[in-house]
Amino acid sequence: MASPAALPPLPFNPSRVRSYVLRLPLFTRLVVLAIIVFWLLEFQTVWSVVQWGALIPDEIGLSTMYRLNTYPVIHTGFFHAFINLLALVPLLERFEAEHGTLTAIALFIGPLSTFPAGIYLLIEKFVLHSNTSVAGASVWVFLLLGSESIRTFKSNPYFSLGNYKIPTWTSPLFACAVVWMLVSNTSVLGHLSAVLIGYLLGLGYLKVFVPPEKILRWIEGKLNLLGRLPHYVSVDQKTYGRFGVLPTAGAPGGERGTPMSFMAALRNLRNNPKFLFVRLPYILSFLCVVAGVVWLFLLPLDDYSRKTYISENALLPGQVHAYFSGSEQHIFRGYKKELEGLLGDNAGDEVQEQKSEERTPVISDKIQSILKAAGLKVATQGYQYTSSGITHEGENIYAIIQAPRGDATEAIVLVAAWKTVDGELNLNGVSLALTLARYFKRWSLWSKDIIFVFPPDSKSGTQAWIDAYHDMQPPTVQPLPLKSGALQGGLVIEYPFNHRFENLHIVYDGVNGQLPNLDLFNTAVSISGGQMGIGTRLQEMWEHNGSYEKRLQTMLRGMVKQGFGYATGAHSSFMPYHIDAITLQTQGNGWQDEMALGRTVEGLCRSLNNLLEHLHQSFFFYLLMQTHRFVSIGTYLPSAMLIAGNFTIMAISIWLRTGYYENPKSSDTAAAPQDEKSEKAQLAAKDQGVVAVAQQPTEKVAERQLALPLTLVVGLHLLGLIPLYIFNNLSHDTYTLATFTSIAINAALPLLVSLLLSRTPTTTQQKAHLIKSLSLLLLGLFLSTLATLNFSLSFMIGLLCAPLSFVHRITPETSPGLRYALSLSGLFFLNLVSPPVVLLAGCAYYGVSVETVLTEAAFGWDVWGMWTQVVVWCVWWPAWVVGGAVVGTSMF
Amino acid sequence: MNTFFLLSLILVALSVGSAASNYHENLHLQPLPPSNLLASFNFKSNTTQSSFEKQHFQYFPRALGQILQHANTRELHLRFTSGRWDSESWGSRPWNGAKEGGTGVELWAWIEAPDDETAFSKWITLTQSLSGLFCASLNFIDSTRTTQPVVSFDPAGDHSPSENLHLLHGTLPGEVVCTENLTPFLKLLPCKGKAGVASLLDGHKLFDAAWQSMSIDVRPVCSGPEECLVQVDQTVDIVLDIERSKRPRGNPIPRPIPGDKLVCDTSKSYHTRDTCYPLEQTAEQGWSITELFGRSISGSCPLTDSESSNEDAVCLHISPVREVRSSPDSVETKWTNDFTRCFSLPPSIPFDLTVPEQASAAHVPLDQPVLHAERTIVGHGQERGGMRIIFNNPSNEKSVDFIYFETLPWFLRPYIHTLQATMTGPDGIRRQVPTSEIIKETFYRPGVDRERGTQLELALSLPPASTVTLTYDFEKAILRYTEYPPDANRGFNVAPAVIKVDAPQTGRPIYLRTTSLLLPLPTPDFSMPYNVIILTSTVIALAFGSIFNLLVRRFVTADEAVALRAQTFRGRIGGKIVALRDRIRGKSSKVE
Repeated sequence: MASPAALPPLPFNPSRVRSYVLRLPLFTRLVVLAIIVFWLLEFQTVWSVVQWGALIPDEIGLSTMYRLNTYPVIHTGFFHAFINLLALVPLLERFEAEHGTLTAIALFIGPLSTFPAGIYLLIEKFVLHSNTSVAGASVWVFLLLGSESIRTFKSNPYFSLGNYKIPTWTSPLFACAVVWMLVSNTSVLGHLSAVLIGYLLGLGYLKVFVPPEKILRWIEGKLNLLGRLPHYVSVDQKTYGRFGVLPTAGAPGGERGTPMSFMAALRNLRNNPKFLFVRLPYILSFLCVVAGVVWLFLLPLDDYSRKTYISENALLPGQVHAYFSGSEQHIFRGYKKELEGLLGDNAGDEVQEQKSEERTPVISDKIQSILKAAGLKVATQGYQYTSSGITHEGENIYAIIQAPRGDATEAIVLVAAWKTVDGELNLNGVSLALTLARYFKRWSLWSKDIIFVFPPDSKSGTQAWIDAYHDMQPPTVQPLPLKSGALQGGLVIEYPFNHRFENLHIVYDGVNGQLPNLDLFNTAVSISGGQMGIGTRLQEMWEHNGSYEKRLQTMLRGMVKQGFGYATGAHSSFMPYHIDAITLQTQGNGWQDEMALGRTVEGLCRSLNNLLEHLHQSFFFYLLMQTHRFVSIGTYLPSAMLIAGNFTIMAISIWLRTGYYENPKSSDTAAAPQDEKSEKAQLAAKDQGVVAVAQQPTEKVAERQLALPLTLVVGLHLLGLIPLYIFNNLSHDTYTLATFTSIAINAALPLLVSLLLSRTPTTTQQKAHLIKSLSLLLLGLFLSTLATLNFSLSFMIGLLCAPLSFVHRITPETSPGLRYALSLSGLFFLNLVSPPVVLLAGCAYYGVSVETVLTEAAFGWDVWGMWTQVVVWCVWWPAWVVGGAVVGTSMF
Repeated sequence: MNTFFLLSLILVALSVGSAASNYHENLHLQPLPPSNLLASFNFKSNTTQSSFEKQHFQYFPRALGQILQHANTRELHLRFTSGRWDSESWGSRPWNGAKEGGTGVELWAWIEAPDDETAFSKWITLTQSLSGLFCASLNFIDSTRTTQPVVSFDPAGDHSPSENLHLLHGTLPGEVVCTENLTPFLKLLPCKGKAGVASLLDGHKLFDAAWQSMSIDVRPVCSGPEECLVQVDQTVDIVLDIERSKRPRGNPIPRPIPGDKLVCDTSKSYHTRDTCYPLEQTAEQGWSITELFGRSISGSCPLTDSESSNEDAVCLHISPVREVRSSPDSVETKWTNDFTRCFSLPPSIPFDLTVPEQASAAHVPLDQPVLHAERTIVGHGQERGGMRIIFNNPSNEKSVDFIYFETLPWFLRPYIHTLQATMTGPDGIRRQVPTSEIIKETFYRPGVDRERGTQLELALSLPPASTVTLTYDFEKAILRYTEYPPDANRGFNVAPAVIKVDAPQTGRPIYLRTTSLLLPLPTPDFSMPYNVIILTSTVIALAFGSIFNLLVRRFVTADEAVALRAQTFRGRIGGKIVALRDRIRGKSSKVE
């Protein structure tokens, strides 16, 4: 690997930064270490470090005096610690270099921590009578700035700003004020007391606390500190400190040997290609996967998730009074009885109860006549879909309230499906929508048309309607005879039972993991919770106490739905057209009645009616973990990106390796460990490997034979279209059989490919490497792209494919028995994570039949335009086959 | 309805007959199903061409007259419209659509000028002046919004063939019409809205209407070679929702009515005190002018020319069996066609008209529109879209010939080669037809980015009882960062299409307009770069700058600084110069 010679020179010299860092004196290092350790300690939940060590005025007693010393090294979060470290290190280093390590320790552990704390406590507790806790190294930063400014003042008393002369000693006060204004949650009082002590220190009033030089010398001499401790700044060195005598000049030889030996180790590593190209990528890839998973599990913590907020000011949720009450309830009951009566008539004829719940033409006519009587423009649309040999047909009824003074440019949609997404009869929802239609018609404040849609079911009806609205419908779906303007938002009402409800369950996932704008969700939560007093739930988490576990569970449920990409309700179909929509489902047994739901819908419609622009202010990519907490894409995306990056790292490293003939002797120890557990074995064998390879830098440049690997990898990706076609076009009763057939074919296919590979002339080792490299490269590419579109799907596929990074061909030098055993076990394990087996396992876990899942998937493909299958068959499956084939080549 | 407009035409002819300055106003009221009322105000004033040229204005508004003279405008048509006409319920349009515009503001004028450039500069003068006069954003009608239609508009006035006239047309589909446009409109009237039918025009009621259109037409009318009049014709047409307008001003919220006042279907088996299947009203709602407009007509305008034309000041088109009560001082005239009753306005005494509630009376038969048109944007995404126009000919016998005219903003780039036509005949079968079968003629002027929009005029012919769908694809341009309006995410307004239907029997064409459209364009997230730049610059400038300065600056005493300066390149050069200067002055020896 040639070193990049043509890179432009960096604007600053990184080696100087490095040498600066390596030269940091002892006490500074210890403080940095302490700050980092305490920051890391905060990740555990058992013991709250901040609560233990921060300076809390009311907690200070005799037994808690330690707080006066601990508070500077304790921080409340990463940024707090990081910024403070960045400011503190240069100042503290300078101080230590000037005064010596021992003096620094004596002062900073003693008076320079306790005095500011004391002043702060006096003022905070006895003057202000409040109890604000403080923590962080900023106290030292300001203290040192204060003392520096006094020194500056002595040599250079004034800044001149025009005609004004500003004393230089005020500069820390300015800094204090700026920090106070720019950074939230800073304790200006704490900073001021620190600056005060800093002035005292600079003016020399604190000299009494400095241990006499004689004693220091004695301690140093007795303990031989200079000889024992690295980076120790002796009493004698201190006078040099300020403007930098060469770092190694003053130190006796060998005392400062550690950085040198560390650099030597680095240089050794650089000279060790085996480690760099063979071991390091495995370590890095493994670390990427682990870091990706750990990252995801950090997200529910308070530090990584945020409270939701309304971005779009025009929405004004809950600012209007909802008038839907009183006699409107009589009308609601009337409509409901009317529809119930029509159901009842049918039930008399039909033997089965189930049948009677279908929406008959009589009911459709009744709904239309009610809407017409209320003065709406009514139209219908018939549709028919066929998927997996099942025909879904129905007729959408929809009606438009034309905005009284509007011009048909914008509209809001309100959907009440006859059947909910779970197939229950949504009689209350439909009656409520009818009542609302009659009620809304009377208002003259609508700036947008309101469209009421009554599809016969929640799966296909809205899809047919919205496709036709944009004139994108298939030929089996009728066009819409009546239209309005651009749709701004959608609401779906589901109230499938007769008793009163307790909470509203907000469903928001769209097809292919698309999500509505977070503002819409927030508005719904804000109106139902804040104005109407109805609790809100999400992701079927009926009990949510805000704990880490519950948040994680909510987030994972959301991710599973997003990853599968199926429609979770009638609202899902709107999302591909960039129309934000949610479903409001009633849940539980409480005391909220249909009028409360109606008022919530009224409030939401009023909010949407206020919109001047399409919803765009808030997030479109987020993970919700509670109704009031979310993680945005910037925070969660690295997780999936790291997992996708692991494949790319591995692909590039293998690509580099294929450019050389590897010495078979040295690769023995390196490449022998097999299957996906190999990285652990390799970590263990690292030490021997380094030794073995360091002596063998004999590699020759090899020609890469690309034709066959390229053809194979591209061919396999294209081959994925065949199962994709088959699984989307079979009849639903053959799905179980097809799944088992595909498992059998999957078991045989990698072996077949590897057998063919071993019959071709070039060396199998390089071919295996090239094939694996290309396949992983594509996988990394697809997954990182996918992560930005559907994070959850990319994450799940990435995890399932993670073993493919670590499987490779076992060299023929291994003894045949071991080789066969290892490769067969590897293949067996790989078969456990093949797409159809994972499907079976998932079905068994959730307790649904394979046929149901695959029928749903084919329906999604045919009707919703869902492309989860494409990812499975054209991204995951080819990568999996290549992984299997690479292991398989070990046997031939 | 037809008779109503024939009548109006007769009136027009009558007023033309007398070649002198005069003023005439009237109000036509007509209930429309389900519970609406069309109120059509018409104000007409004439002045002779000669006194117009001498700037001797009597009834003609001076402000407008001077603008027209300054801009060499011979004929002017200005429209302010909002809402939409529901032709399904309300039948054909008032004045056959001749006195309405598309949503927003529409302006077209015939300007006399030797060439196109002069005409355009006069046009800009005209729009700027009218913008000030009517408090509308007419000054935004620039070259990208101006077109020169070829066949869609004909001059309504009598022009001498020697004049070199240019027709220019511009629209502002996004303009919201409101009271600030009404006030200058009323000021043009001789009675300024203080007396006569114009006293009913109140912004609160006018702009609460389901549909409203204000128009101003100025045209020369000649009865002989030298007997020319300049006529200004102002109309206000509004469709009021009777129920909404009758709500008291202090309590406009449609609260749920008390349960015992609900009108329920008591025949239902489930009917109880708290369960009600509502019965919709069948009786004709009662109303009065005072209830609907919030005030009564404050007598006739004393400037109306003669007694004879005052007797049709307020006309009501209503079934003859409906009872109508009017103020005692007015004179009622019944017209022969039974449906029209007219009332004269008493001078300076308030006039009111009451139509009490009455069980279902016969409706005035409504004319059905000759053509239905609907235009929508289809497709989705940030890059491409499609336009779909549906024409429906409801007549079973006659085919319809019409001109379809649309102006598209430059950022909507149509692909005219994708223009396709689908026809659904009386048999209900959809089939693709070659466009030449329907489109007789095409006038197309492609747009130029940032300079002018696309202009498309199609002459079409629709067979009886058929529906034709025209579609074409378009591409959305990406605007420059500064070209976006503040509400970029709302979408961009596309002006309504104008349809001119030839009606040989009446001689005057019928106009139709589609609704305006909203075109979403690819829009950047404006807030993000703004936030990032502002926050980071502030933090860097304040915090980092000062701390970094403090850390790296080396503070030295003043005499040290001089010594240091002497060592720098500049210091040394400076020293050399001083030494050189001293040597030239002959001081070198002394210095040494």
